[in-house]
Amino acid sequence: MGSLSASLNIATQSMLAEQGAIETSTNNIANANTPGYSRQVPNFEEAGTIQIGTLTFGTGVQLGSVTSLRDAVLDLRVNQETQQQGQLNAFLDGGQQIQELFNETSGTGLQAPLSAFFNSLSELASNPSDLTTRQNVVTSAQNLATAFNQTSNNLSTLQRNTDLAVQQSVSQVNSLTAQIAQVNQQVVAATKTGENAGPFQDQRQQLINQLSNYIDVSEIDAGDGGLTLTTSSGSALVVGNQSFALSTQANPATGLQDVYANGADITSQISGGALAGQIQIRDQEIPSVQNSLDTLAYNLTTSVNSQNRAGFDLNGNAGGNLFTPLTQAPGAAASVTIALTDPTLIAASGTAGLGNTGDNSNANKLLALQNQDIVGGQTPLSYYSDTVFKIGNDVSSAQTTEQAGSQTLLQLQNLQGGVSGVDINEEAANLVRFQTAYQASAQVATVINTLLQTTINMVT
Amino acid sequence: MSVRLNPDLLPDLLASIQKSEQNENIATQELSSGRTANSPSDNPAAAAAIVLNHDQTSQDSQFLRNISALQGRFQVADSTISNVVEVLTQALSLGTEGANGTVSATDRQAIATEVQGLLTQTVGLANTTYQGAYLFGGTNVNAQPFTVDSTTGAATYHGNPNTTSVEISNGNSITANVPGDQLFQNANGSVLGALQDLYTALNTGNNMPTAVSEVQSALSQLDVQRVTYGNALNQINLSESFLNQDQLNLSQQENTLEGADLSVVASNFSQAQLADQATLSATSRVLSQKTLLDYLA
Repeated sequence: MGSLSASLNIATQSMLAEQGAIETSTNNIANANTPGYSRQVPNFEEAGTIQIGTLTFGTGVQLGSVTSLRDAVLDLRVNQETQQQGQLNAFLDGGQQIQELFNETSGTGLQAPLSAFFNSLSELASNPSDLTTRQNVVTSAQNLATAFNQTSNNLSTLQRNTDLAVQQSVSQVNSLTAQIAQVNQQVVAATKTGENAGPFQDQRQQLINQLSNYIDVSEIDAGDGGLTLTTSSGSALVVGNQSFALSTQANPATGLQDVYANGADITSQISGGALAGQIQIRDQEIPSVQNSLDTLAYNLTTSVNSQNRAGFDLNGNAGGNLFTPLTQAPGAAASVTIALTDPTLIAASGTAGLGNTGDNSNANKLLALQNQDIVGGQTPLSYYSDTVFKIGNDVSSAQTTEQAGSQTLLQLQNLQGGVSGVDINEEAANLVRFQTAYQASAQVATVINTLLQTTINMVT
Repeated sequence: MSVRLNPDLLPDLLASIQKSEQNENIATQELSSGRTANSPSDNPAAAAAIVLNHDQTSQDSQFLRNISALQGRFQVADSTISNVVEVLTQALSLGTEGANGTVSATDRQAIATEVQGLLTQTVGLANTTYQGAYLFGGTNVNAQPFTVDSTTGAATYHGNPNTTSVEISNGNSITANVPGDQLFQNANGSVLGALQDLYTALNTGNNMPTAVSEVQSALSQLDVQRVTYGNALNQINLSESFLNQDQLNLSQQENTLEGADLSVVASNFSQAQLADQATLSATSRVLSQKTLLDYLA
């Protein structure tokens, strides 16, 4: 036979369980706007049964556990997409700065000084003995050299700034991995004692997502609730409660900072996050543009010099170099300068001696360089035009990928929200349900209380 | 059970606000600059083509400047030759007058003096400069091309027989000068030689008819040589109109490459604005939407 006190016990247990459920809903509502928070659900369980004679009675309800709802696979996909977006955004950040140096539609770039230089030679050919015309050749050669220098210097500055950004990213990575190691340990501890590890997992996912902005992360489930984080090339970042800091070290050849993990250079292996984008800009994009500029500067000045040497100046002497001769293409754009300031030294004539000051045959040959394939198998302007195309195209395709990626990321985050996001209406409905159940249990307790009173009064 | 949707609508709404504001921005930029390509990445192929387009436009402008300088030079050269033709015509009539048997020796000598003056005048014309350079010295433009022996009247050419060629449009060159010896001391009729011979003939009274016919052939030879300048002037005029047309074509091409169709851009702008307002109004409604809690109280 069941007892009244057992019933009273069931009613109070039930009130406690509903109270816990109400607390869970309240907590969900409170955290509706907390970034990274996963909604929690109370898990009611049927309490054990009791055997009295031949009868089996239930002993009520108990709040077995509170669990956080999350989809580990979605978390992983969000992190991966974040890595790609981090890389693209960093690449675009640098790429847009590069392309502004070559924004020919708004008149910045090398087309104007290149054209002006050849135009001055064209004018020289039409009036070879005129000093003003000759001075104009010297001036436009000087302007061209300055334009090469400035563009190259701007690229170098951009490269140094990106190098600083790499170092900042590395220290962000280190600070995040240290925090993740700590939280990772808390997840393991909570999992061991059977507590709800959810809040710690929320925090950990939030931190890993932030880390994904900076570097490519692979997650390996350690089995005890903990995660092992490595870069996608396998360098350990977090193992258990330990984090492994990345370091930077200046490359003796370039002067730029290489990224090291546990003593190994992983600079070229980083494949995601802002670090990958910054390294791509610093080590590939800028050097490639710089290389194009150098090739252009080197080949153009070398050809102009050798043609000027082939002619004769206004004094009838053999011509010299118009630009200071460069020994090699690397660094050419940054170092090109003019070698002469005396306008009479421009070798317009093709014949030696003072009797040919009106001869323009060498000026014509200098001018003809404009249409000759002297730079990488192309004319100077076509080569430059190709360079502009490559820069624009790199940025443009990164933009396209970034736009598609941000859509994907938004969708993934929506899916994640579908699983883990707090819905106020849902919580309100639950609250009402729990409230009703609590009120019912309280009412039951009152009834039992009355019954007990009746029983007690029966005795007296 | 249906799929649970993300209860937080804000990220989607913010993304569409961002998108419509971005469109608005692009349209504003296109409206204010009049260009659809404002950065190389907007249209990489157009950006590359623009480089070549601007270069060609700038080359054309330079060709046009060269042409106007050449026009000046050719006009001076041509009018100088016209003056020489006048001098020769005058010499011819003086020669005809001197060849007349009725003219006395004294009168003939007076005519000879006149012819000597014409010779000096011709040499002066042959030494014409344009912007500090001698026009008729071949490529030796800084030395006086002709000097005359004051006693014999014989002229010496100090220039050279070289010509210069100047490009007046892409791949199209013209000869920019005729050397002085070819003009004034041509083997088929030397202007200076004829005048010298006429002077000697008038002084001595011998070989008068030969001297007169020499002047005649010098005159016709000069006409032949002068055609070079006339042709060159025609050629640069043709080039000039070609270059003007080419610049027009280039600017049309530039417009096709990067120019914005203003009616399209304006309609894009109002569309973007409309979309932006719609999104904003939707957002405000979502944000102020009542929840179940509001009805429970």
